[in-house]
Amino acid sequence: MDFDNIKKAVVDMEVEKVKDLVTKLLKNKRLPEEILEKGLIAGMKEVGRLFSCKEYFVPEVLMASEAFYAGFDLVSPLIKTKQMKEKGKIIIGVVEGDIHDIGKNIVKVMLEASGYQVVDLGKDVPTEIFVDSVTRENPKILAMSALMTTTMMKMKDVVKSLEHKKLRNKVKVIIGGAPVNEDFAKRIGADGYGEDASAAVSLVEALIGE
Amino acid sequence: MNKISRVIRREEKLAVFPIACADHCAHLLNMNYSEVASDGTKLARALEHGYRIYQYDMVLVFSDPYVEAQALGCPVKFSPSPTLLGPRSNQSIDRTEEIIKAAEILKRKVDVPVFVSIKGPFSLASFLVGIEEFLKNLLANEETTSNTINTALEFQIKYLERLLKLGVNIFIGDPVASSSVISPKLFERFAFEPLLKLIKKIKEKELIAGVHVCGDTKPIIPILDELGADILSIEDITPKTRTLKMGGVSTETIFSGNQTKIEEEIKQALIESYLILATSCDVPMETDSKNIKLMMEIAGAYSND
Repeated sequence: MDFDNIKKAVVDMEVEKVKDLVTKLLKNKRLPEEILEKGLIAGMKEVGRLFSCKEYFVPEVLMASEAFYAGFDLVSPLIKTKQMKEKGKIIIGVVEGDIHDIGKNIVKVMLEASGYQVVDLGKDVPTEIFVDSVTRENPKILAMSALMTTTMMKMKDVVKSLEHKKLRNKVKVIIGGAPVNEDFAKRIGADGYGEDASAAVSLVEALIGE
Repeated sequence: MNKISRVIRREEKLAVFPIACADHCAHLLNMNYSEVASDGTKLARALEHGYRIYQYDMVLVFSDPYVEAQALGCPVKFSPSPTLLGPRSNQSIDRTEEIIKAAEILKRKVDVPVFVSIKGPFSLASFLVGIEEFLKNLLANEETTSNTINTALEFQIKYLERLLKLGVNIFIGDPVASSSVISPKLFERFAFEPLLKLIKKIKEKELIAGVHVCGDTKPIIPILDELGADILSIEDITPKTRTLKMGGVSTETIFSGNQTKIEEEIKQALIESYLILATSCDVPMETDSKNIKLMMEIAGAYSND
């Protein structure tokens, strides 16, 4: 019941309520892993479902994400990073010249809520920063997004640059964003395309066998 | 009477406009996009070149989405293409005069209707405060949201009045209001009225009013129809509308140059009784010109059938 209340508060986008409920459960010696899994993550999964069936839209997801992070920030320092490391590391960013990062932020929260370790490079990320990060972080997945027809070709530059640096076979590349699709992903040599945040999580799970 | 007007009046079946704008047309001429976006004479030169090459049925003066946002103080970076750097500050640079100059030149030089693209007040308001903050405020702070939209609307009414004096037609782009972003309920609450006000002003002058919304529009088609615009430019043209539709060929298809797919999409689109056959959004800068010529040729062949 306690966990259901947290889940409901995330779905209802109630930041303060999530903080209060999580704090109360931690005081009552409930395991932070359980709070995360059965309360916060369960809440975001429901948000993802509501988003997929068009009951929730971007504003609702953004507000629910705030509520999720309000709880996540309280429990994550108490959880050993073992689980997240096991599930794998993902680098995410919006390509150079593009500052539309809402979609990327939603994908990030859904991936974190699914237990992945996410390294967020932010928006307007130059090709060399993507490539350097792959070298440094050794992620299983590199996820890129673009929201403009003027910036989508930057994704191809990143894939080419990974090939040039002989890094391409070390990381799966996935893409998303309004102007791109499955065909475009194939054409630029990416491993997959996610139409929305839920699809991105499923794609990651399929690609790295979770 | 021009082809676009005849199709709007349902006197002719088809007009064609692959949405080739400043970036692609500048690319065709090896012109610097940033310079074209900041200089009305260069912008007109690039857009006229696109028109001469492809011979489509209208011209759209669209340099980038941030002209009005920058005039209202949002910082914009011009490298490699115009990029909005953040919310409103005190760094106002007004390029609206350059857009007006380009429209004036084109109106003299081309013999098809000239449209100028302006932003819908809802989308413009989102640029003024930052899109994420704006979207959260839709649910968390209605008053702030309404005030920001009013600021955007006031600016757009004045800009529109200057444009209408030239006798140009108007396309209002409101991408942030699409159902890929907000619910139909929020569209009705915040985006509808400001759009309606602008469209009424255009119609009062007996000029053509178009509305362009990228992304998913299926849930808001009945509301978009209520706007009373002449043209509705949307990604998915399959839903029934009272308003004349514009679209039919996906931007990605035209970019890929897959002849079979271009032909399939055009054939499917021509099921419509009346249509402005167009790409779903502006064509990417690097689109091969032979792909756009192919779209024009196939459309021409089908319309002659």
